[in-house]
Amino acid sequence: MEAQNRNISYLESRKLVKRWRGPLPAIANLLMIFALFGVTWWIFQDPRGIMRMYTPYVGYMICRWMLILLIWVAYIFDFWPFKRSWLNKAHPVTKGVVLTTVSVVAMMLLIKGFFMGLLGQYGIAYFSPDRLHAMGLTEFYAEEYSTEAIMMFAAIASWLAPSWVVACENAPWQKLTQPARGITIAVVTFFLSTIVYFLTMHSHMAILFDPWQKYTAITPPYWEGFANTVSGNFHIAWIMSCTVTVWVYESIWERYPFNLIKTNWLRRTSAFFGIIAVALCMCFFIYYAQDLMWGETVRGTRREMAPDWRWLHVGETAIFWLVGVLGLNFYGGNWPTKFSRPVNVFLRTIISLLIGGAVYVLYYKYAHLFLGTQKGFAHPQQFPMIPMIWLINIALINQWFMDGWPGWKAVPKTETELNEVESAVIAHDVSWTPSLARGLAVGATAGVTIYFGVINILPWISQNVQIIK
Amino acid sequence: MTDDITTPRRNFVKGVATGVIGGTLAGMGFYSYTNSAYSRLPKVAREQQEFGAVRSVKVTAISETSWFNNAHLMEDIQKSGGLLVDQYTIGWGPFGNGKGPGKGSYEEGIAKIKKMIPGDLEEAWALQEKSSLHPDNPGGFSTLIEVEDLDGSKHKYLLDTGWSYAWMDQSFKREGIDQMLKSGEIEALIQTHEHFDHFFGFPVAMKYNNKLPLYIHNGFYKEGRQYIVDSGYKGDPIVVDKELTPIRPGMMLMKFDVPIICRVFGETSLAFNVKDKGLVLISGCNHQGILQMTSTAMKKLKYDNDRFYGLYGGLHISPFEDWDPKYDDLVISLGKWNFEKVGCNHCTGHLTARKFIERGYPVVRGTARFRSSTPDYLGNGDTITFG
Repeated sequence: MEAQNRNISYLESRKLVKRWRGPLPAIANLLMIFALFGVTWWIFQDPRGIMRMYTPYVGYMICRWMLILLIWVAYIFDFWPFKRSWLNKAHPVTKGVVLTTVSVVAMMLLIKGFFMGLLGQYGIAYFSPDRLHAMGLTEFYAEEYSTEAIMMFAAIASWLAPSWVVACENAPWQKLTQPARGITIAVVTFFLSTIVYFLTMHSHMAILFDPWQKYTAITPPYWEGFANTVSGNFHIAWIMSCTVTVWVYESIWERYPFNLIKTNWLRRTSAFFGIIAVALCMCFFIYYAQDLMWGETVRGTRREMAPDWRWLHVGETAIFWLVGVLGLNFYGGNWPTKFSRPVNVFLRTIISLLIGGAVYVLYYKYAHLFLGTQKGFAHPQQFPMIPMIWLINIALINQWFMDGWPGWKAVPKTETELNEVESAVIAHDVSWTPSLARGLAVGATAGVTIYFGVINILPWISQNVQIIK
Repeated sequence: MTDDITTPRRNFVKGVATGVIGGTLAGMGFYSYTNSAYSRLPKVAREQQEFGAVRSVKVTAISETSWFNNAHLMEDIQKSGGLLVDQYTIGWGPFGNGKGPGKGSYEEGIAKIKKMIPGDLEEAWALQEKSSLHPDNPGGFSTLIEVEDLDGSKHKYLLDTGWSYAWMDQSFKREGIDQMLKSGEIEALIQTHEHFDHFFGFPVAMKYNNKLPLYIHNGFYKEGRQYIVDSGYKGDPIVVDKELTPIRPGMMLMKFDVPIICRVFGETSLAFNVKDKGLVLISGCNHQGILQMTSTAMKKLKYDNDRFYGLYGGLHISPFEDWDPKYDDLVISLGKWNFEKVGCNHCTGHLTARKFIERGYPVVRGTARFRSSTPDYLGNGDTITFG
């Protein structure tokens, strides 16, 4: 109870301890996660399986909203209404089943009740499959369009909801108790997501219909000239990059470097906008890298030569990195940890990029043999984000709800460790000195050199490496 | 003393580690999406392979109506589990097994009719109607292409074989295709891809000529290859495995390796060099995308006047009367390529055709006969000539 009294979240109050030495815990957990992925994929998503939700948009919406609900339960509501004593004592499998069930029920209420029911029936017609069907669309596309819109909303929320906790440190409501804090932050981030949705995705939805719905949305959309497409995939690119950056910043970067800022409001604001800045850098680079690999886009083409697909693929590529990031953080013990924080961050960034790259290659080389999908980079109805987010969701359930069972177990942190949690908000292990400044200058020069080295080598890789045969 | 040395060194290393990430990010953010970065992209050299020329190409839409009720087709797809479900399992004829949507199989379907095809198609289709989904819905896509060589000689090719045995046989008879096949007047069958509405009617062509040369994409699945055998084909299919396969002077088969809905892989399309006019592109469904095909042709082929002259086929934009903003990218951009004649139908979609017309593109209108539903584009029995 000590941790709860001090307003320390459950995830921060526990310490995950390996049950066995060596790599066995990681192997056991990865085996379990892949087994769960295989079974649940077959039951819910696989086009050859039982429920076949990979239509594709129904399954796409489900996996994205599931991610949000997991974040809400663990990060925003800190497991409220479940008592800390139950979280500490219940068996991890029991917790996994109960908390996942609660998340699924809440997700269904949100999708069916709020989006399709309330918003779709009384606000914006395209959120309701029934209304679209009644207006003459086929039942299939009525459902696909409305689930696409709901899915896009989730993409935004999956960036803003965790960002408020990770970057803004729950401010200014950090001292509220649950559920007041959870409700407040959920409502605020939902409200912000709504604004961003209208600024980024509403025009995309408006031009799905003929004629373009010019009285209710800006058509053609304002980004057409910049992004070379009228598709909202342009926004998916940077928003998914933001989502990934939030978790990179939270996990392998240990909130470095913004946690060096001692002034609370400045640190939080810098972290929030810094995440966006890092995401934009990643977004523009991945887009450009594709042009270097596959040639410049031709507007109006389909698949991998189309600008809209390239923007979408920015988000997809970023998600592959997130798999590497979370894998290293959850099952690799955030290795390495023995160097100084900046060096650890640097090395983890490289390692997670290598893991993400390997997952990317393996996915495009072999996934069609297992997932009931087709080989190829740009199938118009296939989204690698669906299996990747599905996998991430299972890993999050394992890590957050099940305390890393079976390889790990949760142990309450000691008084000293809890004190460290509170003081860790601000890092004290890096301070401004002339030698640090010299190092920064040398490092920045090296970074720019690496960047130009990479963009020079990408066309060569494109000519000499073939992922899909 | 040691600390005095190592601390600055450690700080320096911390700075380097941070700076490398910062510097790389700076490059990524400030340079990647700039004009300067794009000026570095290598210019793509045009290979411009010579492939001869023809005097003219005449196209007859034997059938462009792949299905007659879009809601019924989408209902079948939805109940089966969406757009990624294997077409042989959806439960459509001729592979229906009466078990319901998404529970069909090639083996069970073909077992019922194997002895009847290709000789007794009426009985085979009538039997299938009892166990398949929406049995009155299938139509099919099939096209007759007549190529006039520079010396005036004419050569006929059949592009795709449609879907419903009953509808395709009726359509073949209406356009005299049955006789052309019997007499060997049609020199080859080009099966553009494996989709139900282009391929399931394969036995209808076999009924009249089961030895004519056959071109198929190398992405055909084992069910598709077996269907060719089970339909009574007696030749050796030419499995297209190269990007460009010459058919005759001035006529080139282009292969595209693209994953397609309903678990189909790859499509082939045709390019013609019409003497003194330019390039004509003809496709079955054009899943690769019409501008992708155009841009590939521009890079790979040499054609008269270096000009895009004509376009015909299903352009696969809104086949289910669905829409996506990326389709507007095509509608907006197509004008830049300056096609003189656009003959489209089938999976182009009514909405796309109307948007093309609204933007003033030279879409050749049809006559809306033989169950074609709109005069906005070329319908069943309509023809278009390039040259």
